[in-house]
Amino acid sequence: MSKRPDLFTSYQKEISIFPNNTQKFWFITLLIASIYVCFIASDYWLILLTNALLVSIAAWGLNIVSGLAGQINLAHGVFVGIGTYTSAVLGGVATRSVIGFELDLIIWLPLSGIAAALIGLIISPIAVRLKGLNLGLVTLAFVFIGAHFFNNMTFVTGGSGLGRKAAKLNIFGIDLNSGYQIGDFLIQKNQILYLISLLVAVLLGLGVKNLVRSKTGRAFAAIRDRDIAAEALGINLFKFKASALAISCFYGGVAGALLTTTFGGVEPGTFNLLYSILFIAIVIIGGAGTVLGPLFGAFFYVLFPAIIQYVVLSSNLSEQDLLITPQQIERIIFGLFIILFLIFEPRGLWGIWFRLRNYFKAWPFSY
Amino acid sequence: MNIFLQATFEGLSLGAVYSLVAIGFVLIFRATDVLSFAQPAMVVVGAGFISYFATQLGIPFIFAFIIGIILTGLLGFILERTFLRPMVGEPVFSVAVLTIGIDILLRVILDNWIGINPKYMGDPFPSYGNFGSLNIGGLTIKYLEVTALITSLILISILSVFFKRSKYGVAMRATSLDQEAALAQGINVGRVFGLVWFIAGLLAAFAGFFITGGFNTLTNTSFISALRALPAVVIGGLDSITGAIIGSLIIGLTQAYVGYYQFDIESAYNIKLGNGFSIVAPYLIMFVILLVKPHGLFGTEEVERV
Repeated sequence: MSKRPDLFTSYQKEISIFPNNTQKFWFITLLIASIYVCFIASDYWLILLTNALLVSIAAWGLNIVSGLAGQINLAHGVFVGIGTYTSAVLGGVATRSVIGFELDLIIWLPLSGIAAALIGLIISPIAVRLKGLNLGLVTLAFVFIGAHFFNNMTFVTGGSGLGRKAAKLNIFGIDLNSGYQIGDFLIQKNQILYLISLLVAVLLGLGVKNLVRSKTGRAFAAIRDRDIAAEALGINLFKFKASALAISCFYGGVAGALLTTTFGGVEPGTFNLLYSILFIAIVIIGGAGTVLGPLFGAFFYVLFPAIIQYVVLSSNLSEQDLLITPQQIERIIFGLFIILFLIFEPRGLWGIWFRLRNYFKAWPFSY
Repeated sequence: MNIFLQATFEGLSLGAVYSLVAIGFVLIFRATDVLSFAQPAMVVVGAGFISYFATQLGIPFIFAFIIGIILTGLLGFILERTFLRPMVGEPVFSVAVLTIGIDILLRVILDNWIGINPKYMGDPFPSYGNFGSLNIGGLTIKYLEVTALITSLILISILSVFFKRSKYGVAMRATSLDQEAALAQGINVGRVFGLVWFIAGLLAAFAGFFITGGFNTLTNTSFISALRALPAVVIGGLDSITGAIIGSLIIGLTQAYVGYYQFDIESAYNIKLGNGFSIVAPYLIMFVILLVKPHGLFGTEEVERV
């Protein structure tokens, strides 16, 4: 039986998270490799990788509501922001201008996801009532309303231009803000954050995989394909559209909480329209509706600018010689990639990977 | 009463400018089924062209204005040809996201050109009267605003005649009703698509000048004003030109009233609406209207079948 990995003898087996040993093998290999990376990578790359993991969590969230359930959400960045500020309030230090409770990560991490999910649930009746482009436009309104709140609730966010410090890193009452000493070996704060992000990303990633194969996931897909038909089949539109939004917001909130902790602080202007569009771009570049797609997209988004920076720095050009700054090159390439992927490869990086995989599966035979 | 009149006038003028952008949105949406998020970028690009020709190349303003407007129209035409033509028949949302990509591209290039210092349009309006404005019975009326109002009215009437009388106007209406049927009747649908984007570009450039003209200047945040045409379109209904105009007027008036009365309302009811509430107010209105009427005030309701 083990010689025929594509032969499934039961439905349970076919829909299992890792349907064959190859996938299990690669999952475990990658997991070990990514834990190993933590101890060899420099701080710069470690922060980049942490960032990529967290962005992919947020992108998974958007993928659930937009890719899987087909509900356009242009305001994902706002939910990431809500998670961010919940964590900053619960885990941050109070100053003269902002409030903070200095709680444990065990408390603020889930709560920041739940807070975002609650806000998502509150606005979900709107998402249920509208669909298609109109829904997209209403979520566009959320971006501006959210930004308004972030800018004006200064006791939470510190106000525009100033910002506030992120949550402190205390786990089970242990202060990890300056690393953790095990015998002679000091684990840096960056390494701890990387490991936490890895753990959360693996858990939530498996969560997405699990969601896709469950009854809920199938209901989401049915709603995406044709919501009226789905309703006729007995799928409760309200329940599933609302839950898709809530789950998506949960992912966004958790990602937001850890993202700010990685960077140490946050300014309310971060959560603008471009920030929300970013996640859409990541999902599209990665491949909408797939589990691996957002992961590809997020790593692409985070690592690609680093490569550009590297090329610019290693070439002998100074900033004045270039007509545009590296950040602008980044954005131009990002905009171009959205366009080119939509025109030439609507399935995104995942589609490229899928074709490559199938090519090498049958290699050297091309059929 | 003076404040009310002042706010009403400014609101109407703003609304008229927004309506130019909004009509561009609606034209594109009706003819090509594309919701163009690139329209606000076209607005600022138009302003950028005019400013470049008038202040950096030193061409007389009126010629710079005409060249800028035509170039923006051509840009719209080229964008349609290169990026949107391959996407005909794709899902509406994919195309909308593609226009977001175009928007990012255009704005990065423009922001780079604008830099930190605001750009002047090089228009003669600030030199008229008392710093570009006229006092009539306690009202301060800017020449730029009057011109915006009148120009918008003229443009809208030209457009309505164009749609009713001209060959291409009728072709456009036919295309927006049914693309395939129009094709079967011998209408060059591809050319209509290009023409629609050209007209939308022209209108965007007009709006761009009125948004950034005079002392308003072109900055990296000018596009936010242009983006306000989006709630206007949504309020009116995505596929109705009348709706776009009325929606724009609602948005313009709201913005002006909020700007003038926010402080009074805040102190009367002891609430705090926050800084920059006039930016959010249009979106709030759009939000409420969409909840009551999901297709906007004048939009046609879709009949959906499985």
